[in-house]
Amino acid sequence: MLQASGRNKDTFTVSTPSENEIRMTRVFNAPRALVYEVMTKPEHIRRWWGNLGEGYSVPVCEVDLRVGCKWKFVNRHPQGEATFYGEYKELNPPDRVVFTEIFAPFPDAVSVVTAELEELEGGSKTFLRATVAYPSQEVRDMVMGTGMAQGAGTSYDRLEDILAELQ
Amino acid sequence: MTDQLSTTFAALADPTRRAILERLRAKGECTVGELASPFTETMSMPAVSKHLRVLERAGLISQRREAQRRQCRVEPEPLRDVLNWTEHYRVLWEGRLDRMDSYLQELQQGKGARHAASKRKK
Repeated sequence: MLQASGRNKDTFTVSTPSENEIRMTRVFNAPRALVYEVMTKPEHIRRWWGNLGEGYSVPVCEVDLRVGCKWKFVNRHPQGEATFYGEYKELNPPDRVVFTEIFAPFPDAVSVVTAELEELEGGSKTFLRATVAYPSQEVRDMVMGTGMAQGAGTSYDRLEDILAELQ
Repeated sequence: MTDQLSTTFAALADPTRRAILERLRAKGECTVGELASPFTETMSMPAVSKHLRVLERAGLISQRREAQRRQCRVEPEPLRDVLNWTEHYRVLWEGRLDRMDSYLQELQQGKGARHAASKRKK
């Protein structure tokens, strides 16, 4: 469905540091301050977050970049719209952002995302470590099981077939 | 764990319950007896009923009484929500990071950042 276009595609890794967390890493060919900016400023976020190709856009991108303040993004995709929102918990430019994230249909399921940025190769590249803490191990396992980590839990794939046939 | 997402995920985490759901999806609406028949070969009817209650509590199936029999059917909404949610993490995280990588390149080329451009491979 999505074709890899970034040059650092092969630097993407997924691991499970604790029972309810998933950690993703990725290298970017850009200085850390720029990566931080692209991750936190709406004019940049609109261009990459959820903007994944034809039929995708980000019609709402609200960011109040202060600790304790809110963010809200709406992702329009070929099947409809998905609204995500949360609150910034820590903002330490250019190396660390912590925020909560809620998918609107599940307001009680709060994920906590910790994004850490490290300089690589004298600052010309940046290493991102994004750790997502899910509300429970069940939720974490489901996310892993649906295929984010290759080869895991393929039986969950059937759920997509079930859904496709119900529609 | 009381939030809806965790309840739904916990219900789907069990392979027997996924098999029940799939059988029900294939049959459309059917009675509890019809739905349970292949499963009662390897487990008791109360055990199957317990799985059905978990699925019903999670909103994944519904049951209604009709002429002394209980009819079951799949409720697609919670399943759709779950898949939307997991798709966000499964596809979108990786897709986003990939898109961010490309965007950072565009941004630096647009600014004429020769230093960054010279660092690119190829």
